[in-house]
Amino acid sequence: MALIQETAFLIRKEIKIEWRQKYAIGGILLYVLSTVFVVYTAFKTLEPQVWNTMFWIIVLFASVNAIAKSFVQENSSRQLYYYTLASPNAIIFSKIIYNTGLLLLLSALSFGVFSLVAGNPVKSSLEFFVAVFLGSMGFSITFTFISAIAAKASNSATLMAILSFPIVIPIILTLLKISANALRLMQDSSVWKDMLILVAIDFILLAVTFILFPFLWRD
Amino acid sequence: MRSNWWKILGVLILLYVFIVGMLVPLKPGITSAQPSVLQAGEVVTMTISGYNTFFTKSTDHRAWIKADDTHALAASAIKVLNDQQLEASFRLPTYLPSDEKRLTASLLIDNSFDGATVIPGNLFLQQDSTNQAMGSQAWQTSSIGELHSKSGMSFPFRAILYETIRNTYFHVSLWLAMVILLITSLVFSIRYLSTTNPIDDYKAMSFTSSGLLFGVMGITTGMIWAKDTWGTYWTWEEVKMNMTAIALLIYMAYFVLRSSFEDMEKRARIAAVYNIFAFAALIPLIYVVPRLTDSLHPGSGGNPAFGGEDLDNTMRMVFYPAVIGWTLIGVWISSLIYRARKLEEQLYDD
Repeated sequence: MALIQETAFLIRKEIKIEWRQKYAIGGILLYVLSTVFVVYTAFKTLEPQVWNTMFWIIVLFASVNAIAKSFVQENSSRQLYYYTLASPNAIIFSKIIYNTGLLLLLSALSFGVFSLVAGNPVKSSLEFFVAVFLGSMGFSITFTFISAIAAKASNSATLMAILSFPIVIPIILTLLKISANALRLMQDSSVWKDMLILVAIDFILLAVTFILFPFLWRD
Repeated sequence: MRSNWWKILGVLILLYVFIVGMLVPLKPGITSAQPSVLQAGEVVTMTISGYNTFFTKSTDHRAWIKADDTHALAASAIKVLNDQQLEASFRLPTYLPSDEKRLTASLLIDNSFDGATVIPGNLFLQQDSTNQAMGSQAWQTSSIGELHSKSGMSFPFRAILYETIRNTYFHVSLWLAMVILLITSLVFSIRYLSTTNPIDDYKAMSFTSSGLLFGVMGITTGMIWAKDTWGTYWTWEEVKMNMTAIALLIYMAYFVLRSSFEDMEKRARIAAVYNIFAFAALIPLIYVVPRLTDSLHPGSGGNPAFGGEDLDNTMRMVFYPAVIGWTLIGVWISSLIYRARKLEEQLYDD
Protein backbone atom coordinates (compact mmCIF):
# COMPACT_ATOMS: atom_id res chain seq x y z
CA MET A 1 0.00 0.00 0.00
CA ALA A 2 2.76 2.36 0.99
CA LEU A 3 4.48 1.62 -2.28
CA ILE A 4 1.43 2.65 -4.30
CA GLN A 5 0.96 5.84 -2.29
CA GLU A 6 4.59 6.80 -2.61
CA THR A 7 4.55 6.01 -6.31
CA ALA A 8 1.43 8.09 -6.95
CA PHE A 9 2.95 10.97 -5.05
CA LEU A 10 6.24 10.75 -6.91
CA ILE A 11 4.46 10.65 -10.28
CA ARG A 12 2.63 13.85 -9.32
CA LYS A 13 6.00 15.33 -8.43
CA GLU A 14 7.47 14.34 -11.81
CA ILE A 15 4.59 15.96 -13.66
CA LYS A 16 4.89 19.11 -11.58
CA ILE A 17 8.61 19.41 -12.27
CA GLU A 18 8.00 18.84 -15.96
CA TRP A 19 5.30 21.51 -15.94
CA ARG A 20 7.53 24.03 -14.22
CA GLN A 21 10.45 23.55 -16.59
CA LYS A 22 8.50 23.47 -19.84
CA TYR A 23 11.63 23.54 -21.96
CA ALA A 24 12.31 19.84 -21.37
CA ILE A 25 9.04 18.52 -22.74
CA GLY A 26 8.90 21.28 -25.35
CA GLY A 27 12.40 20.32 -26.47
CA ILE A 28 11.47 16.66 -26.89
CA LEU A 29 8.29 17.41 -28.83
CA LEU A 30 10.20 19.74 -31.13
CA TYR A 31 12.88 17.07 -31.49
CA VAL A 32 10.21 14.67 -32.81
CA LEU A 33 8.84 17.29 -35.21
CA SER A 34 12.29 18.12 -36.60
CA THR A 35 13.29 14.47 -37.01
CA VAL A 36 10.05 13.60 -38.77
CA PHE A 37 10.58 16.50 -41.11
CA VAL A 38 14.19 15.60 -41.83
CA VAL A 39 13.12 12.04 -42.67
CA TYR A 40 10.28 13.30 -44.82
CA THR A 41 12.43 15.74 -46.81
CA ALA A 42 15.08 13.07 -47.27
CA PHE A 43 12.65 10.45 -48.61
CA LYS A 44 9.70 12.55 -49.94
CA THR A 45 7.65 9.42 -50.68
CA LEU A 46 7.81 6.66 -48.14
CA GLU A 47 7.06 3.07 -49.03
CA PRO A 48 5.17 1.29 -46.22
CA GLN A 49 8.26 -0.81 -45.52
CA VAL A 50 10.40 2.31 -45.06
CA TRP A 51 7.60 4.07 -43.17
CA ASN A 52 7.52 1.23 -40.66
CA THR A 53 11.28 1.24 -40.09
CA MET A 54 11.61 5.03 -39.96
CA PHE A 55 8.73 5.40 -37.54
CA TRP A 56 10.35 3.10 -35.00
CA ILE A 57 13.81 4.61 -35.52
CA ILE A 58 12.38 8.08 -34.83
CA VAL A 59 10.54 6.82 -31.74
CA LEU A 60 13.68 5.00 -30.55
CA PHE A 61 15.92 8.05 -30.78
CA ALA A 62 13.34 10.42 -29.38
CA SER A 63 12.76 8.02 -26.46
CA VAL A 64 16.46 7.80 -25.62
CA ASN A 65 16.66 11.58 -25.62
CA ALA A 66 13.51 12.00 -23.60
CA ILE A 67 14.48 9.53 -20.91
CA ALA A 68 18.22 10.26 -20.71
CA LYS A 69 17.52 13.17 -18.39
CA SER A 70 15.45 11.11 -15.92
CA PHE A 71 18.11 10.93 -13.25
CA VAL A 72 20.28 13.90 -14.12
CA GLN A 73 17.78 16.73 -14.13
CA GLU A 74 17.67 16.84 -10.35
CA ASN A 75 20.88 17.32 -8.41
CA SER A 76 22.33 14.58 -6.26
CA SER A 77 21.55 16.18 -2.92
CA ARG A 78 17.87 16.33 -3.78
CA GLN A 79 18.04 12.68 -4.88
CA LEU A 80 19.53 11.83 -1.51
CA TYR A 81 16.57 13.60 0.05
CA TYR A 82 14.14 11.44 -1.94
CA TYR A 83 16.08 8.40 -0.82
CA THR A 84 15.41 9.20 2.80
CA LEU A 85 11.70 9.68 2.08
CA ALA A 86 10.69 6.94 -0.34
CA SER A 87 11.65 3.36 -1.06
CA PRO A 88 13.89 2.86 -4.11
CA ASN A 89 11.23 0.74 -5.80
CA ALA A 90 8.69 3.55 -5.52
CA ILE A 91 11.21 5.90 -7.13
CA ILE A 92 12.01 3.65 -10.13
CA PHE A 93 8.35 2.61 -10.48
CA SER A 94 7.15 6.21 -10.57
CA LYS A 95 9.79 7.13 -13.14
CA ILE A 96 8.92 4.13 -15.33
CA ILE A 97 5.20 4.95 -15.25
CA TYR A 98 5.83 8.63 -15.90
CA ASN A 99 8.22 7.85 -18.77
CA THR A 100 5.77 5.36 -20.28
CA GLY A 101 3.19 8.15 -20.39
CA LEU A 102 5.73 10.51 -21.90
CA LEU A 103 6.70 7.97 -24.57
CA LEU A 104 3.04 7.28 -25.40
CA LEU A 105 2.56 11.01 -25.95
CA LEU A 106 5.74 11.15 -27.98
CA SER A 107 4.83 8.14 -30.15
CA ALA A 108 1.31 9.52 -30.69
CA LEU A 109 2.82 12.82 -31.81
CA SER A 110 5.33 11.10 -34.11
CA PHE A 111 2.54 9.01 -35.58
CA GLY A 112 0.30 12.04 -36.09
CA VAL A 113 2.93 14.19 -37.76
CA PHE A 114 4.37 11.31 -39.74
CA SER A 115 0.92 10.35 -41.07
CA LEU A 116 0.22 13.97 -41.92
CA VAL A 117 3.30 14.44 -44.08
CA ALA A 118 4.03 10.92 -45.30
CA GLY A 119 0.60 9.27 -45.29
CA ASN A 120 -0.81 6.63 -43.00
CA PRO A 121 -0.25 3.07 -44.24
CA VAL A 122 -1.57 1.39 -41.07
CA LYS A 123 -4.24 -1.18 -41.95
CA SER A 124 -4.97 -2.60 -38.51
CA SER A 125 -5.01 0.24 -36.01
CA LEU A 126 -5.62 -2.07 -33.05
CA GLU A 127 -2.48 -4.13 -33.67
CA PHE A 128 -0.45 -0.99 -34.31
CA PHE A 129 -1.52 0.74 -31.11
CA VAL A 130 -0.96 -2.38 -29.04
CA ALA A 131 2.57 -2.39 -30.50
CA VAL A 132 3.00 1.30 -29.66
CA PHE A 133 1.77 0.72 -26.09
CA LEU A 134 3.93 -2.35 -25.42
CA GLY A 135 6.88 -0.68 -27.14
CA SER A 136 6.57 2.46 -25.03
CA MET A 137 6.52 0.28 -21.93
CA GLY A 138 9.58 -1.71 -22.98
CA PHE A 139 11.55 1.38 -24.01
CA SER A 140 10.51 3.13 -20.82
CA ILE A 141 11.68 0.31 -18.54
CA THR A 142 14.98 -0.23 -20.36
CA PHE A 143 15.90 3.40 -20.85
CA THR A 144 14.86 4.48 -17.36
CA PHE A 145 17.03 1.80 -15.79
CA ILE A 146 19.98 2.51 -18.10
CA SER A 147 19.67 6.24 -17.46
CA ALA A 148 19.97 5.45 -13.74
CA ILE A 149 23.22 3.63 -14.54
CA ALA A 150 24.50 6.29 -16.94
CA ALA A 151 23.72 9.07 -14.49
CA LYS A 152 26.26 7.58 -12.08
CA ALA A 153 29.04 8.01 -14.66
CA SER A 154 30.51 11.19 -16.04
CA ASN A 155 29.90 11.02 -19.83
CA SER A 156 26.30 9.93 -19.55
CA ALA A 157 25.02 10.90 -23.03
CA THR A 158 27.32 8.50 -24.89
CA LEU A 159 26.92 5.81 -22.24
CA MET A 160 23.15 6.04 -22.48
CA ALA A 161 23.26 5.08 -26.18
CA ILE A 162 25.94 2.40 -26.08
CA LEU A 163 24.51 0.73 -22.98
CA SER A 164 20.89 0.69 -24.07
CA PHE A 165 20.86 0.10 -27.83
CA PRO A 166 22.15 -3.49 -27.82
CA ILE A 167 19.79 -4.34 -24.97
CA VAL A 168 16.75 -2.94 -26.73
CA ILE A 169 17.28 -5.00 -29.92
CA PRO A 170 14.91 -7.87 -28.96
CA ILE A 171 12.14 -5.32 -28.28
CA ILE A 172 12.77 -3.43 -31.54
CA LEU A 173 12.77 -6.62 -33.61
CA THR A 174 9.47 -7.79 -32.15
CA LEU A 175 7.92 -4.34 -32.55
CA LEU A 176 8.97 -4.15 -36.19
CA LYS A 177 7.38 -7.53 -36.82
CA ILE A 178 4.09 -6.68 -35.12
CA SER A 179 3.79 -3.34 -36.86
CA ALA A 180 4.79 -4.81 -40.23
CA ASN A 181 1.85 -7.09 -39.65
CA ALA A 182 -0.37 -4.13 -38.77
CA LEU A 183 0.69 -2.47 -42.04
CA ARG A 184 -0.09 -5.75 -43.85
CA LEU A 185 3.45 -5.95 -45.15
CA MET A 186 3.29 -9.52 -44.04
CA GLN A 187 0.49 -11.82 -43.00
CA ASP A 188 1.11 -13.74 -39.84
CA SER A 189 -1.73 -15.31 -37.94
CA SER A 190 0.42 -15.78 -34.84
CA VAL A 191 0.94 -12.05 -34.28
CA TRP A 192 -0.70 -12.38 -30.85
CA LYS A 193 2.12 -14.69 -29.89
CA ASP A 194 4.61 -11.92 -30.70
CA MET A 195 2.62 -9.54 -28.52
CA LEU A 196 2.80 -12.10 -25.73
CA ILE A 197 6.56 -12.30 -26.20
CA LEU A 198 6.72 -8.51 -25.91
CA VAL A 199 4.63 -8.59 -22.73
CA ALA A 200 6.94 -11.29 -21.37
CA ILE A 201 10.04 -9.21 -22.22
CA ASP A 202 8.49 -6.19 -20.48
CA PHE A 203 7.76 -8.25 -17.38
CA ILE A 204 11.24 -9.80 -17.25
CA LEU A 205 12.83 -6.35 -17.53
CA LEU A 206 10.49 -4.92 -14.91
CA ALA A 207 11.27 -7.74 -12.49
CA VAL A 208 15.04 -7.41 -12.98
CA THR A 209 14.74 -3.63 -12.58
CA PHE A 210 12.95 -4.05 -9.25
CA ILE A 211 15.59 -6.45 -7.99
CA LEU A 212 18.59 -4.42 -9.16
CA PHE A 213 17.57 -0.81 -8.64
CA PRO A 214 18.08 -0.83 -4.83
CA PHE A 215 21.74 -1.81 -5.45
CA LEU A 216 22.15 0.97 -7.97
CA TRP A 217 20.46 3.62 -5.91
CA ARG A 218 22.42 3.45 -2.67
CA ASP A 219 25.44 5.75 -2.75
CA MET B 1 51.26 -29.26 -10.43
CA ARG B 2 48.36 -31.02 -8.78
CA SER B 3 46.11 -27.97 -8.98
CA ASN B 4 46.99 -27.44 -12.65
CA TRP B 5 45.66 -30.74 -13.96
CA TRP B 6 42.71 -29.05 -15.66
CA LYS B 7 44.99 -26.80 -17.69
CA ILE B 8 46.90 -29.82 -18.98
CA LEU B 9 43.59 -31.56 -19.63
CA GLY B 10 42.36 -28.54 -21.61
CA VAL B 11 45.48 -28.47 -23.77
CA LEU B 12 45.34 -32.23 -24.36
CA ILE B 13 41.67 -32.12 -25.29
CA LEU B 14 42.26 -29.29 -27.76
CA LEU B 15 45.24 -31.14 -29.20
CA TYR B 16 42.94 -34.13 -29.72
CA VAL B 17 40.29 -31.88 -31.28
CA PHE B 18 42.75 -30.32 -33.71
CA ILE B 19 44.37 -33.61 -34.71
CA VAL B 20 41.23 -35.74 -34.99
CA GLY B 21 39.03 -32.90 -36.22
CA MET B 22 41.41 -32.01 -39.01
CA LEU B 23 42.77 -35.40 -40.05
CA VAL B 24 39.83 -37.80 -39.98
CA PRO B 25 38.57 -38.03 -43.58
CA LEU B 26 35.05 -37.34 -44.75
CA LYS B 27 32.86 -40.25 -45.74
CA PRO B 28 32.85 -40.98 -49.49
CA GLY B 29 30.15 -39.00 -51.24
CA ILE B 30 28.73 -38.23 -54.68
CA THR B 31 29.28 -34.68 -55.89
CA SER B 32 27.40 -34.95 -59.18
CA ALA B 33 25.55 -37.32 -61.47
CA GLN B 34 25.14 -36.35 -65.14
CA PRO B 35 22.70 -36.26 -66.85
CA SER B 36 20.30 -35.47 -64.05
CA VAL B 37 17.10 -35.25 -66.13
CA LEU B 38 16.02 -38.70 -67.29
CA GLN B 39 13.28 -39.71 -69.71
CA ALA B 40 11.27 -42.87 -69.08
CA GLY B 41 11.81 -45.60 -71.65
CA GLU B 42 15.35 -44.55 -72.53
CA VAL B 43 18.72 -46.12 -71.88
CA VAL B 44 20.98 -43.67 -70.07
CA THR B 45 24.64 -43.81 -69.29
CA MET B 46 25.24 -41.69 -66.24
CA THR B 47 28.61 -40.29 -65.22
CA ILE B 48 28.91 -40.24 -61.44
CA SER B 49 31.61 -38.15 -59.75
CA GLY B 50 32.63 -39.10 -56.25
CA TYR B 51 34.45 -37.33 -53.45
CA ASN B 52 36.93 -39.24 -51.26
CA THR B 53 35.98 -42.37 -53.17
CA PHE B 54 38.25 -45.22 -54.29
CA PHE B 55 36.25 -46.79 -57.08
CA THR B 56 39.21 -48.79 -58.45
CA LYS B 57 39.75 -50.57 -55.15
CA SER B 58 36.66 -52.71 -55.40
CA THR B 59 34.93 -54.64 -58.15
CA ASP B 60 31.48 -55.27 -56.69
CA HIS B 61 29.92 -51.95 -57.74
CA ARG B 62 26.16 -51.60 -57.67
CA ALA B 63 23.97 -48.56 -58.35
CA TRP B 64 20.26 -47.76 -58.06
CA ILE B 65 17.92 -44.95 -58.96
CA LYS B 66 15.68 -44.78 -55.95
CA ALA B 67 12.22 -43.30 -56.57
CA ASP B 68 10.93 -43.94 -53.04
CA ASP B 69 11.35 -46.44 -50.24
CA THR B 70 9.85 -49.35 -52.14
CA HIS B 71 10.68 -48.48 -55.76
CA ALA B 72 14.19 -48.62 -57.15
CA LEU B 73 15.89 -49.44 -60.42
CA ALA B 74 19.27 -51.19 -60.53
CA ALA B 75 21.97 -50.24 -63.03
CA SER B 76 22.38 -52.71 -65.87
CA ALA B 77 26.11 -52.10 -66.27
CA ILE B 78 28.77 -50.18 -64.36
CA LYS B 79 32.18 -49.12 -65.65
CA VAL B 80 34.87 -47.65 -63.41
CA LEU B 81 36.77 -44.80 -65.10
CA ASN B 82 39.04 -43.87 -62.21
CA ASP B 83 38.91 -43.47 -58.43
CA GLN B 84 36.55 -40.49 -58.67
CA GLN B 85 34.47 -41.39 -61.72
CA LEU B 86 32.05 -44.12 -62.56
CA GLU B 87 29.76 -44.77 -65.51
CA ALA B 88 26.47 -46.46 -64.78
CA SER B 89 23.92 -47.49 -67.42
CA PHE B 90 20.22 -47.61 -66.61
CA ARG B 91 17.46 -49.08 -68.75
CA LEU B 92 14.49 -46.97 -67.70
CA PRO B 93 11.07 -48.70 -68.00
CA THR B 94 8.33 -47.06 -70.03
CA TYR B 95 6.42 -46.02 -66.93
CA LEU B 96 7.45 -44.50 -63.63
CA PRO B 97 6.04 -45.65 -60.28
CA SER B 98 3.95 -42.50 -59.97
CA ASP B 99 0.78 -40.92 -61.31
CA GLU B 100 2.64 -37.67 -61.92
CA LYS B 101 4.61 -36.83 -65.04
CA ARG B 102 7.61 -35.69 -63.08
CA LEU B 103 9.35 -37.35 -60.20
CA THR B 104 12.45 -36.57 -58.15
CA ALA B 105 14.66 -39.50 -57.29
CA SER B 106 17.89 -40.25 -55.50
CA LEU B 107 20.97 -42.02 -56.69
CA LEU B 108 22.46 -44.75 -54.52
CA ILE B 109 25.76 -46.49 -55.16
CA ASP B 110 27.40 -49.21 -53.15
CA ASN B 111 30.68 -51.13 -53.13
CA SER B 112 32.61 -53.08 -50.54
CA PHE B 113 35.43 -50.55 -50.09
CA ASP B 114 33.63 -47.18 -49.90
CA GLY B 115 30.35 -48.47 -48.52
CA ALA B 116 26.99 -47.12 -49.63
CA THR B 117 26.62 -43.46 -50.64
CA VAL B 118 23.56 -41.56 -51.72
CA ILE B 119 22.88 -38.24 -53.41
CA PRO B 120 19.33 -37.40 -52.34
CA GLY B 121 16.72 -35.79 -54.56
CA ASN B 122 19.15 -34.89 -57.31
CA LEU B 123 17.60 -36.75 -60.25
CA PHE B 124 14.51 -35.69 -62.15
CA LEU B 125 12.51 -38.36 -63.94
CA GLN B 126 10.01 -37.57 -66.69
CA GLN B 127 7.36 -39.63 -68.44
CA ASP B 128 4.94 -38.71 -71.20
CA SER B 129 1.99 -40.80 -70.04
CA THR B 130 1.31 -42.33 -66.66
CA ASN B 131 0.48 -45.84 -65.58
CA GLN B 132 1.17 -46.25 -61.91
CA ALA B 133 0.43 -49.98 -61.71
CA MET B 134 2.80 -50.96 -64.51
CA GLY B 135 5.42 -48.48 -63.38
CA SER B 136 5.24 -49.80 -59.86
CA GLN B 137 5.75 -53.32 -61.07
CA ALA B 138 8.67 -52.46 -63.35
CA TRP B 139 10.46 -50.59 -60.58
CA GLN B 140 9.98 -53.28 -57.98
CA THR B 141 11.89 -56.02 -59.75
CA SER B 142 15.27 -54.83 -58.61
CA SER B 143 15.11 -54.33 -54.88
CA ILE B 144 18.13 -53.07 -52.95
CA GLY B 145 19.95 -55.87 -51.19
CA GLU B 146 22.43 -55.80 -48.34
CA LEU B 147 24.48 -52.57 -48.36
CA HIS B 148 28.08 -52.21 -47.28
CA SER B 149 29.27 -49.68 -44.79
CA LYS B 150 32.64 -47.94 -44.76
CA SER B 151 34.94 -49.21 -42.05
CA GLY B 152 37.02 -46.84 -39.95
CA MET B 153 36.38 -43.37 -38.52
CA SER B 154 34.97 -40.70 -40.80
CA PHE B 155 32.88 -37.52 -40.70
CA PRO B 156 29.61 -37.18 -42.62
CA PHE B 157 29.70 -35.96 -46.20
CA ARG B 158 27.22 -33.13 -46.85
CA ALA B 159 26.66 -31.20 -50.04
CA ILE B 160 27.55 -27.45 -49.76
CA LEU B 161 29.45 -28.03 -46.52
CA TYR B 162 32.01 -30.65 -47.65
CA GLU B 163 35.25 -30.28 -45.66
CA THR B 164 34.04 -27.17 -43.83
CA ILE B 165 31.91 -29.43 -41.64
CA ARG B 166 35.01 -29.53 -39.42
CA ASN B 167 34.32 -25.91 -38.48
CA THR B 168 31.65 -27.30 -36.14
CA TYR B 169 34.48 -27.99 -33.67
CA PHE B 170 35.55 -24.35 -33.80
CA HIS B 171 32.66 -22.01 -34.63
CA VAL B 172 29.92 -23.83 -32.74
CA SER B 173 32.01 -24.96 -29.78
CA LEU B 174 33.60 -21.50 -29.38
CA TRP B 175 30.11 -20.04 -29.29
CA LEU B 176 29.04 -22.50 -26.61
CA ALA B 177 32.21 -21.87 -24.62
CA MET B 178 31.52 -18.11 -24.86
CA VAL B 179 28.03 -18.62 -23.45
CA ILE B 180 29.45 -20.71 -20.58
CA LEU B 181 32.10 -18.06 -19.78
CA LEU B 182 29.57 -15.23 -19.86
CA ILE B 183 27.20 -17.15 -17.58
CA THR B 184 30.11 -17.68 -15.16
CA SER B 185 30.76 -13.94 -15.25
CA LEU B 186 27.06 -13.37 -14.52
CA VAL B 187 27.27 -15.68 -11.49
CA PHE B 188 30.24 -13.71 -10.13
CA SER B 189 28.38 -10.43 -10.71
CA ILE B 190 25.42 -11.74 -8.73
CA ARG B 191 27.82 -12.92 -6.02
CA TYR B 192 29.45 -9.50 -5.92
CA LEU B 193 26.14 -7.80 -5.19
CA SER B 194 25.57 -10.07 -2.20
CA THR B 195 29.15 -10.16 -0.84
CA THR B 196 30.62 -6.84 -2.12
CA ASN B 197 33.93 -8.65 -2.16
CA PRO B 198 36.16 -7.02 -4.84
CA ILE B 199 37.55 -10.46 -5.74
CA ASP B 200 34.17 -11.43 -7.19
CA ASP B 201 34.20 -8.29 -9.31
CA TYR B 202 37.67 -9.06 -10.70
CA LYS B 203 36.55 -12.58 -11.50
CA ALA B 204 33.41 -11.34 -13.27
CA MET B 205 35.56 -8.92 -15.26
CA SER B 206 38.09 -11.63 -16.21
CA PHE B 207 35.41 -14.05 -17.40
CA THR B 208 33.81 -11.29 -19.45
CA SER B 209 37.17 -10.57 -21.10
CA SER B 210 37.77 -14.16 -22.11
CA GLY B 211 34.14 -14.50 -23.19
CA LEU B 212 34.65 -11.44 -25.39
CA LEU B 213 37.78 -13.00 -26.90
CA PHE B 214 35.90 -16.22 -27.67
CA GLY B 215 33.06 -14.19 -29.13
CA VAL B 216 35.46 -12.49 -31.55
CA MET B 217 36.97 -15.85 -32.53
CA GLY B 218 33.51 -17.41 -32.91
CA ILE B 219 32.34 -14.56 -35.13
CA THR B 220 35.47 -14.74 -37.29
CA THR B 221 35.22 -18.50 -37.83
CA GLY B 222 31.50 -18.09 -38.50
CA MET B 223 32.13 -15.36 -41.10
CA ILE B 224 34.71 -17.41 -42.97
CA TRP B 225 32.34 -20.37 -42.92
CA ALA B 226 29.41 -18.28 -44.13
CA LYS B 227 31.52 -16.88 -46.98
CA ASP B 228 32.49 -20.37 -48.05
CA THR B 229 29.06 -21.99 -47.88
CA TRP B 230 26.57 -19.16 -48.50
CA GLY B 231 28.77 -16.71 -50.38
CA THR B 232 28.46 -13.82 -47.92
CA TYR B 233 30.42 -12.88 -44.84
CA TRP B 234 27.42 -11.73 -42.90
CA THR B 235 23.83 -12.76 -42.99
CA TRP B 236 20.96 -11.76 -40.81
CA GLU B 237 19.64 -15.31 -40.86
CA GLU B 238 22.56 -16.57 -38.84
CA VAL B 239 21.24 -16.45 -35.29
CA LYS B 240 24.44 -17.40 -33.49
CA MET B 241 26.49 -14.78 -35.33
CA ASN B 242 24.02 -11.98 -34.73
CA MET B 243 23.57 -12.91 -31.09
CA THR B 244 27.33 -12.98 -30.68
CA ALA B 245 27.57 -9.56 -32.33
CA ILE B 246 24.98 -8.12 -29.93
CA ALA B 247 26.72 -9.80 -26.98
CA LEU B 248 30.01 -8.24 -28.14
CA LEU B 249 28.36 -4.79 -28.29
CA ILE B 250 26.96 -5.25 -24.79
CA TYR B 251 30.19 -6.45 -23.23
CA MET B 252 32.30 -3.83 -24.97
CA ALA B 253 29.90 -1.27 -23.50
CA TYR B 254 30.44 -3.04 -20.16
CA PHE B 255 34.15 -2.22 -20.37
CA VAL B 256 33.46 1.38 -21.41
CA LEU B 257 31.13 1.66 -18.41
CA ARG B 258 33.82 0.26 -16.10
CA SER B 259 36.43 2.67 -17.35
CA SER B 260 34.21 5.67 -16.69
CA PHE B 261 34.40 5.22 -12.91
CA GLU B 262 37.30 6.20 -10.70
CA ASP B 263 35.87 4.82 -7.50
CA MET B 264 36.47 1.05 -7.29
CA GLU B 265 33.48 0.14 -5.17
CA LYS B 266 31.12 2.14 -7.37
CA ARG B 267 32.62 0.71 -10.56
CA ALA B 268 32.27 -2.87 -9.32
CA ARG B 269 28.68 -2.40 -8.14
CA ILE B 270 27.38 -0.63 -11.25
CA ALA B 271 29.22 -2.96 -13.63
CA ALA B 272 27.65 -5.93 -11.83
CA VAL B 273 24.18 -4.39 -12.07
CA TYR B 274 24.64 -3.74 -15.80
CA ASN B 275 25.98 -7.24 -16.41
CA ILE B 276 22.88 -8.81 -14.83
CA PHE B 277 20.42 -6.47 -16.54
CA ALA B 278 22.02 -6.93 -19.98
CA PHE B 279 22.02 -10.70 -19.63
CA ALA B 280 18.34 -10.77 -18.66
CA ALA B 281 17.51 -8.52 -21.61
CA LEU B 282 19.41 -10.78 -24.02
CA ILE B 283 17.68 -14.06 -23.15
CA PRO B 284 14.49 -13.21 -25.11
CA LEU B 285 16.62 -12.86 -28.25
CA ILE B 286 17.00 -16.63 -28.41
CA TYR B 287 13.22 -16.85 -28.83
CA VAL B 288 12.71 -13.70 -30.86
CA VAL B 289 15.22 -14.00 -33.70
CA PRO B 290 14.34 -17.49 -34.97
CA ARG B 291 10.68 -16.44 -35.13
CA LEU B 292 11.39 -13.55 -37.47
CA THR B 293 12.58 -15.37 -40.57
CA ASP B 294 13.10 -18.82 -41.91
CA SER B 295 16.70 -19.26 -41.11
CA LEU B 296 19.49 -20.11 -43.52
CA HIS B 297 21.31 -21.60 -40.61
CA PRO B 298 22.07 -25.28 -40.62
CA GLY B 299 19.19 -27.08 -39.01
CA SER B 300 16.34 -24.97 -40.33
CA GLY B 301 14.59 -24.37 -43.62
CA GLY B 302 15.96 -27.45 -45.37
CA ASN B 303 19.59 -26.46 -44.94
CA PRO B 304 22.26 -29.02 -44.40
CA ALA B 305 22.36 -29.47 -40.71
CA PHE B 306 24.53 -31.13 -38.16
CA GLY B 307 22.65 -30.25 -34.98
CA GLY B 308 20.42 -32.69 -33.16
CA GLU B 309 19.96 -35.94 -35.02
CA ASP B 310 22.34 -34.86 -37.76
CA LEU B 311 25.37 -34.56 -35.53
CA ASP B 312 26.49 -38.13 -35.99
CA ASN B 313 28.32 -40.19 -33.41
CA THR B 314 31.78 -39.65 -34.87
CA MET B 315 31.27 -35.89 -34.80
CA ARG B 316 29.97 -36.05 -31.23
CA MET B 317 33.23 -37.74 -30.23
CA VAL B 318 35.05 -34.56 -31.25
CA PHE B 319 32.39 -31.88 -30.71
CA TYR B 320 31.68 -32.46 -27.01
CA PRO B 321 35.37 -32.63 -26.05
CA ALA B 322 35.88 -29.47 -28.13
CA VAL B 323 33.31 -27.57 -26.03
CA ILE B 324 34.96 -28.79 -22.80
CA GLY B 325 38.46 -28.06 -24.12
CA TRP B 326 37.64 -24.52 -25.22
CA THR B 327 35.87 -23.85 -21.92
CA LEU B 328 38.89 -25.05 -19.90
CA ILE B 329 41.22 -22.86 -21.96
CA GLY B 330 38.79 -19.96 -21.45
CA VAL B 331 38.87 -20.51 -17.68
CA TRP B 332 42.67 -20.59 -17.83
CA ILE B 333 42.79 -17.29 -19.76
CA SER B 334 40.33 -15.79 -17.27
CA SER B 335 42.45 -16.89 -14.32
CA LEU B 336 45.53 -15.26 -15.89
CA ILE B 337 43.64 -12.00 -16.47
CA TYR B 338 42.34 -12.17 -12.91
CA ARG B 339 45.83 -12.64 -11.43
CA ALA B 340 47.29 -9.84 -13.56
CA ARG B 341 44.46 -7.59 -12.45
CA LYS B 342 45.03 -8.41 -8.79
CA LEU B 343 48.77 -7.71 -9.07
CA GLU B 344 48.01 -4.40 -10.80
CA GLU B 345 45.70 -3.46 -7.96
CA GLN B 346 48.34 -4.32 -5.35
CA LEU B 347 50.92 -2.30 -7.28
CA TYR B 348 48.71 0.80 -7.27
CA ASP B 349 47.94 0.39 -3.58
CA ASP B 350 51.62 0.58 -2.55
